[in-house]
Amino acid sequence: MSALKAFLLHPTVRRAAQITAGSIFLASALPKIADLSAFAGSVHNFHLEPFLPMAATNLLAMTIPWVELVAGLALVAGVRPRAGAFVYVALLAVFTVGVITAMARGLSFDCGCFGKAGAGPIGALKLAENLSMMAVGVIAALERR
Amino acid sequence: MDRWWSDGTETGSRLWQGVVAIAATGCLLGLAQNALVRYGDPKDGLAWKYTPPTLDSLEDIAPSSADGKPGGSNPLPPDMNDPLQIGGSVTAGVPDIPDVSRPIQIQISKVKAFFDAKAGAIIDAREPSEYAEGHIPGALNLPYDEVVTDPERLEKFDPQGKPIIIYCGGGTCELSMNLGFAMVNAGKKKVLVFMGGWPEWATSGYPIAKGATPEGA
Repeated sequence: MSALKAFLLHPTVRRAAQITAGSIFLASALPKIADLSAFAGSVHNFHLEPFLPMAATNLLAMTIPWVELVAGLALVAGVRPRAGAFVYVALLAVFTVGVITAMARGLSFDCGCFGKAGAGPIGALKLAENLSMMAVGVIAALERR
Repeated sequence: MDRWWSDGTETGSRLWQGVVAIAATGCLLGLAQNALVRYGDPKDGLAWKYTPPTLDSLEDIAPSSADGKPGGSNPLPPDMNDPLQIGGSVTAGVPDIPDVSRPIQIQISKVKAFFDAKAGAIIDAREPSEYAEGHIPGALNLPYDEVVTDPERLEKFDPQGKPIIIYCGGGTCELSMNLGFAMVNAGKKKVLVFMGGWPEWATSGYPIAKGATPEGA
């Protein structure tokens, strides 16, 4: 156990996790920013109206990719990377809740997670993908003691 | 710290400042980008306040000739531009619905117009038990859950060229919207969703039918 702990807390491992997580967010942010209206369509597909007024979904679509971009840059460049990792995990947690509620309601569509081209259907695979990406973020966010 | 990058050791207020800074910077950049595109040339970008497409806003999304579909060169009939001519009136005809690539919301007055003119294929997306308790006369029961497990039901459904009007139990009407998207994905055109659904119809004093068949038992 302590070996695992030492591994997870090792500066090189954490730095690698930060760069990996940052690259994931850069890869997901850029296609969305390039085609905002496609991403807005994906956000509408989630039918968030029980949680959020439909009128606000465009604001969400405008800002999410840029927050991803800034957090991704922070992680990759190592400027306040732990803060970047916190934002990364928090955003992924929100996305995961979105996927779970969509699945629970039987919605079926491409999530637009990595823009139009890299979209995958909502489902168990997408959920597993999100959780493993979150795990990378958690390693990047671990506090060194 | 003697180097410009760190491997992520910030804690406490330094950490939370970073989190807020990243979130705020991202939001501002996003809003700024959209503002630039929206007020730039050519004007593009997202509306600040999203409004789901409704029948009255069809002009905005009617297929253009650029899509290679018919209808672009064919302007909407004048009554489409004046909802008063259609809304609430029983004798005025029904609007001509262009082929659209996603479900469109429709208000009860227009549902009634389609109902009176028998010009729409009305679909009840609720469960058979709810359907039997009461439904719009002539409405076909096509529960969304059954379409998910048996997509052939959707393939077999033929609206005979009429616009499809889907309704369910009201509220956010997820069943209708989901079924609407499923229909569009299955290649159906002219898919309308009546968001008010059964509660609004039943309380409007319009005809209802009970039982398991479209026209009632």
